[in-house]
Amino acid sequence: MTVVSPLGYRFPGGTYMIAHWENWLLTDCTTAEPLPDDLAHPVALFHVPILGAGTSITELFEVCGAEGPGSVGLDGYDWEYLRPLRVGVEYRMEGGIVRWEQLVDERGNPYDSMSFSIEMFDVEGLAARITNTWRFRRRQPEGVTGATS
Amino acid sequence: MKVGDQLPEFAVPSVDPARMKTMAAVLRDPYRVHWDREATREMGLDGRVINQGPLNLSYIVNMLHSFSGPTSVRRLTVSFGRPVFDTDSVVAGGEISAIETDRATCAVWLKRGDEIVVSGTAVIDIAHLH
Repeated sequence: MTVVSPLGYRFPGGTYMIAHWENWLLTDCTTAEPLPDDLAHPVALFHVPILGAGTSITELFEVCGAEGPGSVGLDGYDWEYLRPLRVGVEYRMEGGIVRWEQLVDERGNPYDSMSFSIEMFDVEGLAARITNTWRFRRRQPEGVTGATS
Repeated sequence: MKVGDQLPEFAVPSVDPARMKTMAAVLRDPYRVHWDREATREMGLDGRVINQGPLNLSYIVNMLHSFSGPTSVRRLTVSFGRPVFDTDSVVAGGEISAIETDRATCAVWLKRGDEIVVSGTAVIDIAHLH
């Protein structure tokens, strides 16, 4: 499957406020106790920028041509916190897809590597910045034999 | 505190599939491999669901919090090497690799037995630990 490169795709942008219930559940999922002083668990820096930027995992899968179970993988995250995230604070987000490469894995199977970056601002300015890299595995075109297993 | 010091480990004795379902709802994550055993059966994975990457990273964050406090994390740069499945036992760990004034850089990892499934670096604020 060949997907039109989404490089340069910009998210609409928007704002997001982490809710108490949302942070409580998120923190519980990590097996930790709730943090003090309205601190949001740092792992909120996965979904908050995505949703706050006006996109979603669903839209990213569609834009990048995800092909079903097993076709999407995580390669890496680079998350910067200029200050701790807090519940009840309005953050403004902007970002987009900043990298798209057609690659072949160590077994000879094709995949597209996509990176998106989002910056997150509060009233003081830049509060956090993320770059996530995801892998979209592609089926071999008919007649092409890659490495097995 | 010095370069080479090991950080206290954070253990998750059995990754809980119920938590993956809650996490999928919080993230608005449509990827079936995290909550639908049929999806992973289709992949030949014996129906065990796959833990979300952010949850794997969260165990490393929790390990850092227990060492340097809940406002200490400044940067996380990680690679995901292998998937983590429900009922897996994993342990997050780390080691101080550099210290510069009020910041420390740490090698961090998540292991399943001897296998490293997530690895990378973390920068933490250590000003309050002096």
